Amino acid sequence: MFGIDDPWIWSGYVFAILLTVFTIVYGWMKHNEEED
Amino acid sequence: MLDLSLFLIIAGVFLVATLYLGWLGYRRTVSNEQFMVGGRKMNPIILSLSYGATFLSTSAIIGFGGVSAQLGMGTIWLMALNILLGLIVAFLVFGKRTRKIGKELGALSFPDFLGRRFNSPFIQIFSAGIIIVGMPIYAAAVLLGGVNFIDASLDINRDIALLLLSVIVAIYVAYGGIVAVMYNDALQGAILFFGMILLLVFTYSTLGGVTAANQALTDMAVDPGVGALAADGMTGWTSFPSFGSPLWYTFVTTFILGVGIGALAQPQLAVRYMTADSSRSLNKAMMVGGLFILVVVGSAYTVGPLTNVYFFNEFGKTSMQYAENTDMVIPMFVNLVFENVFLGDIFVALFLLALLCAALSTLSSLLHTMGSSAGYDVWRYLHARRIGVDDPMTVLRGKDGGLPKAMRASRICTMLMMILVVVITYYMPLSIIAKATAVFMGFTAAALLPAYTHAIFSRVPNARAAKFSIVIGSLAWSLWAFFIHTSTSVNIGLCRALFGKDSLASLPWTKIDPLVIGLPISVLVLLTFLLVDHVRQKGQPSTA
Repeated sequence: MFGIDDPWIWSGYVFAILLTVFTIVYGWMKHNEEED
Repeated sequence: MLDLSLFLIIAGVFLVATLYLGWLGYRRTVSNEQFMVGGRKMNPIILSLSYGATFLSTSAIIGFGGVSAQLGMGTIWLMALNILLGLIVAFLVFGKRTRKIGKELGALSFPDFLGRRFNSPFIQIFSAGIIIVGMPIYAAAVLLGGVNFIDASLDINRDIALLLLSVIVAIYVAYGGIVAVMYNDALQGAILFFGMILLLVFTYSTLGGVTAANQALTDMAVDPGVGALAADGMTGWTSFPSFGSPLWYTFVTTFILGVGIGALAQPQLAVRYMTADSSRSLNKAMMVGGLFILVVVGSAYTVGPLTNVYFFNEFGKTSMQYAENTDMVIPMFVNLVFENVFLGDIFVALFLLALLCAALSTLSSLLHTMGSSAGYDVWRYLHARRIGVDDPMTVLRGKDGGLPKAMRASRICTMLMMILVVVITYYMPLSIIAKATAVFMGFTAAALLPAYTHAIFSRVPNARAAKFSIVIGSLAWSLWAFFIHTSTSVNIGLCRALFGKDSLASLPWTKIDPLVIGLPISVLVLLTFLLVDHVRQKGQPSTA
């Protein structure tokens, strides 16, 4: 993938991007969360 | 070499902004609570940029960028762990509870938080001691990263660069407190963010595009080959080291786990949770933080390995063959790659500024943490004893967080810690920035993470279990670092002085990071004491 053959490397990129998407979506959904 | 006058113009504008924000912080800092946690009402955008800029410094860009140049793109898993543990788990699991409990307790620093939560001056002083002893090494590594870049880019004396950086940081931290630190972090973080995007885009465009550049790097595993590191398990710059090889252990246990897990127990990061006014602020901050880490760290860990293609094309050498020091790879690359480009000087000047921002933001936060640990946590305790307060905890529960002199003590200690950091910088060996970072983060995780976790999740925190966990965790980490793990024992030299060799063990133990030993022992000690005390309590007759 994009010149990188080792799945350990490109899966690291994919995982990091998915985590970033999670932080954005979660932060957006909970930006008005009530206090505990 | 970059034109000094051009850089001075750009840096002059930046310096004015820095000092203005420092002055703003000074005006808004009239109590211990404002000096230490910004009055607990920090804006979420500033919080996220400050957290990110503190977390990621010259250490991540120069240090780990250089390690990536030497060992390859496997460090990308450290980036994933930075986001997963250093941001998501840190904010959602640790941050919210730390903020809530910290506010209830009136805690103003990380050691103060632990001390109050366990009702134990010993824990407060001991954890402050860990910061005072260990953090200067990390701070020196961060400072070294900034100085290395100035050294490679500008025709000015290295000592003067070191002195200038130190004086600027010391002044705005000592007088502006956490408000000045976080405002400046946000400014520096924003500059760093765009600087790293610029570097990534320019690197790929110089090397012929994403796929062509990556493929060229992949092909380098064969020609010129991975050299001497092949025997240690290196397979190429776009592949992970061989499983179970010495390099794999160093890569996974020191660089990925050491810094990945270590981020959870970083005092300078934990105190940022306490500056938030609500959980909502932490959620909003997380939204910006993820993107910030992805861009800044992702760029550094991608550009690092790609420098090999550039140096090989230009000079027929790998990055390490050319720079001979992991800490100089990125500074040399940036200066060379922009050399013959239209407006290249401006790019180098801007990138130099971004790098200086990375150094200043982390250094200022570390300095603030060290200064407040020494001044607020330790000095205040000793002062309480001197003026005859029998129970030091009564001082800990002062109305605005303690004695009025505590803030002045924190300022003086900040200056003293800066001097100590500068002295240590002169004794740092080559290729040390990433290692020193991993050492400090691993040490704090092994010593403090189990007790910190217990402090925020237990309804009835057990001080005895926490004390033993912290002390034995520190001891286990130290013994392993001093006598087994060669990467650290070589620099400390105690093992060689006592036994005439660098390690008392053989492979693979010599490559396993002290964190992997110290942290489980610290957890085990905590659980054992919790279990013993639980059984004891059950065995006692009820007094109801």
